[in-house]
Amino acid sequence: MKRVGIRGTAAGVGAAVALAFTGGAVAQSGAPIKIGFVTELTGPWTFFGVSCVAGLKLAQTEINKAGGALKRPLEFLVVDNQTNPSQAVAASRNLDVTEKVVAISGPTSSDTALAMYGYAEQNKLPFLVPVAAFPQLTKPGTRYTFRLEPNAAGWGYAMAKFIEQKKPGAKVALMYSDAALMRAITAGFKYQAQRSKLNIVQDIMFPQGSSDATVQAAQVKASNPDFVIVSGAGAFDNTITNQLLDLGVKPNQVIHPYGITTQVFNWGQRSVGSYYGTFFDHSLDGVTAEGRQFIKNFEAANGRPPSYVENFCYTTAYVFKEALQLAGSAEREKLRDALSRIKSKETTSGVPIEFDKNGARKEYIYYMQIGSVDGKKTYKAKQAFYTEWDPEVIPVYDLVK
Amino acid sequence: MSDATVLVLMSTISTGLLLGAIFALVAAGVTIVYGCVWLPNASNGQFFVLAALIAWSLTTTLGWGSAAAMLAVIILGILLSLVLERTLIRRLYDTPNRNIAYFVLTLGLTQIMSGIFSLTYAKWSDQFTLPPLFEGVTMFGAFPMSNNRLGVLVIGFLLLGALFWFLRQTPYGRALRAVFQNREAAALRGVNVRGMYKFSFVLGSTIIFIGGVLFALAYSFDLTVAWTMAITAFAIMIVGGPGSVLGALVVGLVFGFTQAIVSIFASPTAATFSYLGAMLAMLLVKPTGLFSR
Repeated sequence: MKRVGIRGTAAGVGAAVALAFTGGAVAQSGAPIKIGFVTELTGPWTFFGVSCVAGLKLAQTEINKAGGALKRPLEFLVVDNQTNPSQAVAASRNLDVTEKVVAISGPTSSDTALAMYGYAEQNKLPFLVPVAAFPQLTKPGTRYTFRLEPNAAGWGYAMAKFIEQKKPGAKVALMYSDAALMRAITAGFKYQAQRSKLNIVQDIMFPQGSSDATVQAAQVKASNPDFVIVSGAGAFDNTITNQLLDLGVKPNQVIHPYGITTQVFNWGQRSVGSYYGTFFDHSLDGVTAEGRQFIKNFEAANGRPPSYVENFCYTTAYVFKEALQLAGSAEREKLRDALSRIKSKETTSGVPIEFDKNGARKEYIYYMQIGSVDGKKTYKAKQAFYTEWDPEVIPVYDLVK
Repeated sequence: MSDATVLVLMSTISTGLLLGAIFALVAAGVTIVYGCVWLPNASNGQFFVLAALIAWSLTTTLGWGSAAAMLAVIILGILLSLVLERTLIRRLYDTPNRNIAYFVLTLGLTQIMSGIFSLTYAKWSDQFTLPPLFEGVTMFGAFPMSNNRLGVLVIGFLLLGALFWFLRQTPYGRALRAVFQNREAAALRGVNVRGMYKFSFVLGSTIIFIGGVLFALAYSFDLTVAWTMAITAFAIMIVGGPGSVLGALVVGLVFGFTQAIVSIFASPTAATFSYLGAMLAMLLVKPTGLFSR
């Protein structure tokens, strides 16, 4: 039954893609170049997978209207992995063996991405990860996997740099959920905090499923920190934030390691002044003309501005296009070599794209300060900090196993 | 006492009371249905989330106020419970070992509801927040408590008091308790037992709905809260004694305070597991629960 469902989804997306080709496409010849896109369309990570596909489809339509890659249309076969690692592997195998895809992509969760990583490396199948930050996805020895999103331990490193610049010797409180992503961010932060001479006054980890942080927020408030780093899983992130603000912590003391559009909406007007990390935001200073068009098209289709999740998936399609052109062929080994050599820029923001020997990207992050939140429609933020770093500026693969 | 001490002490008390009231309400809803119908409702967490999601839709999409949304959810909860009772629940009233059949049935409901949420709400957002019922903050010494949480706490305790009064002081409540204790004897005394089954299912489910809305008013939520709440409600019911509303009320409050206190003296992780540990210990030492008859 599952197999039928997967093929049904792929066929449905294929049909949708075929329909998209009918409108004003530049002349293309030959069969479509198939790329498997295994993502979270159901299960706990649904929102991220669905948002990712929304970004991908915009790029796919643009690319195919402009002639595709190697004068052939790009066809992304979108398959649901149900936010389930074993399902992600089964879908990858099906796309590899039955559909003969040239590469796979799609996961927005580190768990499913790690499962696909094993399959891709073992079967020499190029794998471009759009959104998954667990460091081990680009561990030393990686050959077929490339990742667009910077690794999470690096985010922690960058956050320490940001705080060091804002207030040298600052007192910092940490409040985070016991999840792989948050643990990796915290590990990177703690490593760099020592070197940046920051003083960690509270280090509070919540188990998954927590719903209340009032007592811990009071402990944090009582320790009088300069900044509080808040990184709760799912809705708990917003609960922690509100409870800190209820107790009198100022918004500009609150730093979120990352923020997507729905999070900013939920933090709301009362969080104006607080900071969040991101890799793309509609309020960035450096959004290109193509980026503005992407934002406009995305807003028209989805009723909200895109965030970095949608941008990474949009960018994924363009990276594939560019790598295929560079490879001059839709063969797996040549595509893999082309990905390793690529030196490009995100069309939406101009941020460089190049991968190191392990497939990790030259990393970067922006910190934004929330300026206003208009209900659930839009918000404004200003760029407060930007930094780039080498993926191994800190020992990421030793810090997070 | 220093301001820092007041902050931590008052936050512990307020968290204990608020979580305790919500836990107690939901567990009371679960135990009323179990005690009367022998229906261990595995989908109680999904009912809880459904209520919160409907309130979110009414406030966010339609722009209703939180109070109006809460009333609408209560009415919808009653209607949905009546429909479920008529179409599914009553078909198993006369089934031997019906508690097993009900458990399987409600597990199926859990899967269906979680699938529906995954195909709808999960695509729209990864987290949900309701507008506050009350604005502003009330100071208790150095401790500022949002009026919204204070309001939810007061409503929660009023509802718990009303439920307790209803079960103790009204003919319907007494009939319900009679069915809890001995169905045959209650029937001999003229109680309409099947009518009480229906009434208890609707009452218990509606209380779970109310718990869901109160939780959504006090906290941001996502779909994972269904599982957390389902486990918590069952743990409270087992420790308090399956079918004992008093047990649900007392143990719910104790669990709320335990979570608040353990999280400050040990860690939030230890707090979460403390009540699961209490449940396991109770199953080993006194499987009938603290307040069983």
